[in-house]
Amino acid sequence: MRRALPFLFLFLAVACGADDAEPDVVRVALVTPGSVTDAAWNAGAYAGLQQLRDSLFVEISHVEARTPAEQEEALRSYASQGYALVFGHGFEFQLPAERVAAEFPGTVFAITSGQRVQGKVVPLVFRIHEATYLLGMLAGGLTESDRIGFIGGMELPPIVLGYNGWLAGARAVNPGVDSRITWLNSFDDAAAGKEAALAMIRLGVDQLHHNADAAALGAFSAVRETPGVHIYGANADQSALAPEQTVASAVIDLARAMMLVTREVMGGEFEPRLESFGLASGVIRLTMNPAFTGTIPADLRDRVRAGEDSIIAGTLIVSGEEGS
Amino acid sequence: MDLELLIAFGAATVRVATPLALAALGEAISERGGVLNLGIEGSMLAGALGAAIGAIAGGPWAGVALGMAAGMSAAMVLALAAVVGRADQIISGTAVTLGAIGLTGMIAQQAFGTAGAGLAVPTLAPVGVPLLEQVPVLGPIVFRQSPLTYLTVALVPVVAWLLFRTRFGLELRAAGEAPLGAAAAGVRVRMVRSLGVLAGGALAGIGGASLVLAQVGTFTERMTAGRGFIAIAIVVLGRWHPVGALLAALLFGAATALQFLFQASGITVVPYQVLLALPYLLALAVLATAVGRARAPAALARNE
Repeated sequence: MRRALPFLFLFLAVACGADDAEPDVVRVALVTPGSVTDAAWNAGAYAGLQQLRDSLFVEISHVEARTPAEQEEALRSYASQGYALVFGHGFEFQLPAERVAAEFPGTVFAITSGQRVQGKVVPLVFRIHEATYLLGMLAGGLTESDRIGFIGGMELPPIVLGYNGWLAGARAVNPGVDSRITWLNSFDDAAAGKEAALAMIRLGVDQLHHNADAAALGAFSAVRETPGVHIYGANADQSALAPEQTVASAVIDLARAMMLVTREVMGGEFEPRLESFGLASGVIRLTMNPAFTGTIPADLRDRVRAGEDSIIAGTLIVSGEEGS
Repeated sequence: MDLELLIAFGAATVRVATPLALAALGEAISERGGVLNLGIEGSMLAGALGAAIGAIAGGPWAGVALGMAAGMSAAMVLALAAVVGRADQIISGTAVTLGAIGLTGMIAQQAFGTAGAGLAVPTLAPVGVPLLEQVPVLGPIVFRQSPLTYLTVALVPVVAWLLFRTRFGLELRAAGEAPLGAAAAGVRVRMVRSLGVLAGGALAGIGGASLVLAQVGTFTERMTAGRGFIAIAIVVLGRWHPVGALLAALLFGAATALQFLFQASGITVVPYQVLLALPYLLALAVLATAVGRARAPAALARNE
């Protein structure tokens, strides 16, 4: 019963969503690995899904599935109901999607941060490290203690990429900068996020970046209590969470990426391929907090702008690998 | 370690320990009556959501009140199922926690929308105790905390008095040790057990509320992140005694605060996974080496 309970809810949720579907309406589903109220990774995908409904008039459905077993079951459930397109929101959906896709050739599975094309499983790769590189440049230039910090939910490949970009950018403007990193082992535990941030601030970190979804709300809370510390948002524009201390955010415009795939699937012209989005695509962006535009030194601003231009032009490659 | 850092470590210890101690006090009452309440995690989570909704509507103390009520409501489900209905305690407790996870997520999305609660919840900021906060080292660690921390410390002797100096406490412990004998002696076993579970849920609800009101100032889904289960371990570690529960909660708080400082200090000799496991490793070590008598209530997790 204990194990069956989530599946029962899942089944009910999916079943309810599908009841009155017209056969000719395109149906698109999203499976997130966490709550869509995280103001970051999952919230962005959910907002993207709603935009698909509003602008492409597709029928949408969403479930949250946290464990590998639930995730595969959620994908299978949507595929078996004939959904044309299912978004698995995170690299962890790659293998479950490959298994399910083998059984349901009619469904396209788009896996954010996925790894490879396999039948109709297509990865949407986000080169978030191109944007976190720019955040790192800002942090490296603005730090007064020469010490920057990063709080990660879990040591997952896309999060490590973002951290490496952040560190590389900081070192590009400030070669001697000292970097600290804390893993929370949770994307939900906001109190842990706060204690981790307070510990870093106490040890001299004055520029803080994160990729910990809802748990990072605690880090924003800690920053708001300690004037002079700057924080940099992840995955969405998070300036509102600490309006006077959030310098900028590395944003993934998930709606834009989801729209692109959905249009192709609706038009029947979809070709399985690896789609990789960086700064040049506009899907990955550096979004400044307007409150800071006047306060950043002109030479630093110019360097960041030049860095952005070089990345877009392809003359500066941010690999996201360690030590690059 | 310089003095500043020691104070930061001590204050973090007390902050982290507060919700754990509140939940553990509640669990201790419940377990003394023979009910192993695995729904305590659900009570905490319900308390956290209740606190967020209550604080937005009527200020932080309304948040405490609604958090307590929400924690009790979750406990009420367990009392009805496991005590009145004599269902298996482990299964009903797990169901309460799973149900609370789903329900709080749903209610939070209704109440705050998919944008979440942001950081908009009014909080109970730390308040200094006059004079005492001037005491070197100890002052800023213990006497510059959230009012909920002071409440926790004040509750320890209250719970001890309730358990060991009142008729209700005697009946509760009798129900936890020998329910058949207690019933033969005229104790209304199911009634006192239910009251114990409800009191435990109320304290766990305040514990969850303290996460929102004394720490982060927002509600996030599943934000208790297993603290209820840690509270159950703390009760064992504290030998089912309120004072022991407080000390064990402080031990957990210290280990957690220490691992954050370790990670933030950039020490790479120890893998971070070991640091994250530190509180649990420490608890295991203490449990394994603790000397003297430590015995669970004889009828724990058993119906009648």
